[in-house]
Amino acid sequence: MTVTTIQESKGAAGGVWVAALIFLPPALLLFTVFVILPIGEAAWYGFYNWDGYNRPQNFVGLKNYISLFNNSSFRTALLNNLIIIAVSLAIQLPLALAMALLLARRAFGSVAFRLIFFLPYILADVAAGLIFRFIFDGDYGPLSGATQALGFGPVYMLASPTWAMVALLVVIVWKYFGFHMMLFIAGLQGIDRNLYEAAEIDGAGAFQRFRFVTIPQLSPMIKLSVFFSVIGALQFFDVVVPLTGGGPFNATNTMVSFLYLFGITRMRVGFGSAVGVVLFVICVTFAFGYRRLLMRDD
Amino acid sequence: MTEQLTIAAPWRLVRTRRRSRDQKPFDLFPLFRLAVLLLVSSIVLLPLLATAIGGFKGLGELRTNPLGLPHPWQWRNYLDILESARYWRVLGNSLFIACFTVAITVALAAMAAFAFAHLKFFGSRFLFTYMTLGLMFPIATAILPLFIRVRDLGLLDTPWGVILPQSAFYLAMAVLLLRNGFRQLPSELLDAALVDGCGYVRYFLYVTLPLSRPILSTVAIIAFVNSWNNYIVPLIMLNSEQLYPWPLGMMAYEGEYMTSWQLVLAFITLTILPAIVMFLLAQKHIVAGLTAGAVKG
Amino acid sequence: MKFRTFALASMGVALGATAAFADTTIRWLHLSNDDAGTVELYNKIIHDFEAENKGVKIQLQDLENEAFKAKLPTMLQSEKDRPNIFYSWGGGVMRAQAKAGFLEDITAAAAPLANTISPTALEAFQVDGKTYGVPQNTGEVVFFYNKKLFAQAGVKAEDIKTWDDFLAAVKKIKAAGITPIIVGGGEKWPMHFYWSYLVMRVGGAHALDDAKAGKDGGFKNATFVEAGKRLHELAALEPFQAGYLSTSHPQAEGMFGDGKGAIELMGQWLLTAQGPNAADGKGQPIDNIGIFSFPTLPGGKGEATDTLGGINGWLVGKGAPKETAEFLKFFSQEKYQREAAAKGVYIPVVKGTESAIENPVLKQIGADLAKTKYHQNFFDQDLGPSVGRVVNDISVAVAAGKMSPEDGAAAVQQAWDEQ
Repeated sequence: MTVTTIQESKGAAGGVWVAALIFLPPALLLFTVFVILPIGEAAWYGFYNWDGYNRPQNFVGLKNYISLFNNSSFRTALLNNLIIIAVSLAIQLPLALAMALLLARRAFGSVAFRLIFFLPYILADVAAGLIFRFIFDGDYGPLSGATQALGFGPVYMLASPTWAMVALLVVIVWKYFGFHMMLFIAGLQGIDRNLYEAAEIDGAGAFQRFRFVTIPQLSPMIKLSVFFSVIGALQFFDVVVPLTGGGPFNATNTMVSFLYLFGITRMRVGFGSAVGVVLFVICVTFAFGYRRLLMRDD
Repeated sequence: MTEQLTIAAPWRLVRTRRRSRDQKPFDLFPLFRLAVLLLVSSIVLLPLLATAIGGFKGLGELRTNPLGLPHPWQWRNYLDILESARYWRVLGNSLFIACFTVAITVALAAMAAFAFAHLKFFGSRFLFTYMTLGLMFPIATAILPLFIRVRDLGLLDTPWGVILPQSAFYLAMAVLLLRNGFRQLPSELLDAALVDGCGYVRYFLYVTLPLSRPILSTVAIIAFVNSWNNYIVPLIMLNSEQLYPWPLGMMAYEGEYMTSWQLVLAFITLTILPAIVMFLLAQKHIVAGLTAGAVKG
Repeated sequence: MKFRTFALASMGVALGATAAFADTTIRWLHLSNDDAGTVELYNKIIHDFEAENKGVKIQLQDLENEAFKAKLPTMLQSEKDRPNIFYSWGGGVMRAQAKAGFLEDITAAAAPLANTISPTALEAFQVDGKTYGVPQNTGEVVFFYNKKLFAQAGVKAEDIKTWDDFLAAVKKIKAAGITPIIVGGGEKWPMHFYWSYLVMRVGGAHALDDAKAGKDGGFKNATFVEAGKRLHELAALEPFQAGYLSTSHPQAEGMFGDGKGAIELMGQWLLTAQGPNAADGKGQPIDNIGIFSFPTLPGGKGEATDTLGGINGWLVGKGAPKETAEFLKFFSQEKYQREAAAKGVYIPVVKGTESAIENPVLKQIGADLAKTKYHQNFFDQDLGPSVGRVVNDISVAVAAGKMSPEDGAAAVQQAWDEQ
């Protein structure tokens, strides 16, 4: 009896290793080859001036990083990423929350409206960018058509650096608020009804119930939504190319579109890798910091 | 429990001041709610409608009648695209890439997640953290080295040059979701199976996978939607138009017919149509999948 | 070890053997240029060549200009995808490609072309004495104008000789309620033609080479700053169409075709592109289009006859089948190039074909090119891929007053130092 258990557990322990060797390597291999190694290589290539052919040989030290931070287009791109984050938090998040409050409960049309608001999220960013390029087109677009119908001249939103950035932000809110709304709806539906009843019995008004029940109860979702907004903003790219191509005057680039236009299409592998490394550091610092500070309990 | 207590405190302080306001009838609220919702949904839908309807106009009419309905409706814009091999090819390419991406992501992630969920071995925590690193940064950070790597592997301008890097990047999300899902299965099942002499592999195949369908489909949906909409990876890895998935195909079409907005609009409408139809047919799963995935990840 | 070598060798033999029997395919990547005539001619030449050379297939593929420029760098990286023949503007971009080892040396095979093509044109596709490609056409960037609109505004093209004449004409056209100038500012390079011509007119034939050699502060010197100032001076008159910063090049050509503006500074391809991109698909009739040279600047070293433009042609990708060079020679035969000239699709570089040009405007461009003593390649191609893009960027920014002429010049110098 004792002998068999020992054998069993021995077999099981050996089995664990055998099983691990069967189950893990494929995923680890693919992940290492296409995710981790390229990140390491980006760090390496970032020190070279390299056009991608043969092997990197022209070691330039930190020159790529220095010229990156001296590049006004890159600074603009960095700033634009911050603006996108700010708008996501200041406009998109409250809008998503408001819509979630109107749609969380069963009421007339709730399901249909949720679907409509979520719809843009499932469309590809490129398509959204191109659609709005048409909407904002000064010659053929409906927006310009509307201003002309009202007796004003045509508007060329995408031709002005400031307004092109506004256009970009409009597309972002249009495309993503529905996703955040669904997060909030999921959160709202998870709130214990009794809390509201208790609050009502205690005489809390609608605003107070919102302030003291909804918001605290929803805070994990809000933290999550903020997290997605920031990470999403940092990697924002697909809309930029069709909508503005980063222009005018590189005023609407994000870090990733800067990487594409200045690194990839010019095949400056070293320089582009340096951009990637900067982006990587920002993302990882944020992700770790945010989780440490705010999402510890989740 | 503790949260309830802390929340309960503050409004006690203001109870007396606010009680009377609660008595107000809320008759107008549903109307107000509806008005707001209709306004927001029209803002959401108008760009899409304008695009679809613009595809029915002639170029001149886009200028002269930017806001009204087409007159006459130019069905040819749409029919020509539907009859072109190009349209079906970009959709087919997208489908091919998405299906293989889903298959690889789900298969490899399920295996790894199973190991992380059930096997206790030295280094498992470390390897799990290692794999979830992928959630911290976007694919764009490493896109140039990735390009060089794919080139050196000879996969440039093949669907695999898109499928493999994509799947690798989706693994982090998939492993995390699946591990959490697998852990929720009752552990007595596994113990019983192992005593019965049913090995890990068979347990994985005949117990874990069938019992985890919901979370597997969530992962599949996320991978599919992401792959279907992916732009940057195919943009860098594919050169021949024959292989373009639809986002690239749409941009190429736009480059070619830039001065004929009505055709570009028709092409956009037709290429986003499959996603909209899929969404309407399986909205519950898609919405639940995309949001639940985000929440659980 | 031995076995492996043997296995590999026999595999190689097997593969080689199959290749000998299979068709050779030459992949030819060209630039889509809207007019059906060019493609028709290419297809005809392909047809003839394939008929004479059994077993060789030529695959013609095209990319739109912007897509071509964005995509080519990555295509060249892949041995499998590298086109065997691709369109090129020569210059620094080509030199960078040659240096990276992307190009096939066809010096020996191309030698006989010296009998039919002018040495200047051939040199455009040589690096360090090695030939990597074959020139096809030449052209000029010049002011195209709409004759009717000029008449309406009471402006005579013949009177525009100096920069001040030009500015005065612009003002007059604007006063007549007509958009003076159309430019595809969204793509930037159309604007860099202005900066380039201004540099040529201010600094003369040696300005660019001197700057490259780092003389007098390189690109930061007075010539380049002055060019920026003049460009801004023009832009300050607000001569461009509304929203020009988001207008793409094809849209701009379409606008010229629609008669929405009086002038466009563009290469000779405008003649074939303005029609198909116009709203009616026809554009301006040829007898309503005139050209005038970029004006001279008071005190400038450049002459009115100095021309900006390309000598464009075909480069051969590394690893192309040996038939590729044969095909390019076949392509460059006088009979085909005469046909191109006669159709007016481009100005061929093969000697003696220019007489076949019938299109009056193209003929005039041909005459300009025959007169010129200094023909400058497009700056953005000449300066190489990364500097060229910066020149395009700063041209738009300086024109619109987003960047000072000094900063613009300094940015070019910085890019030059960094490459």
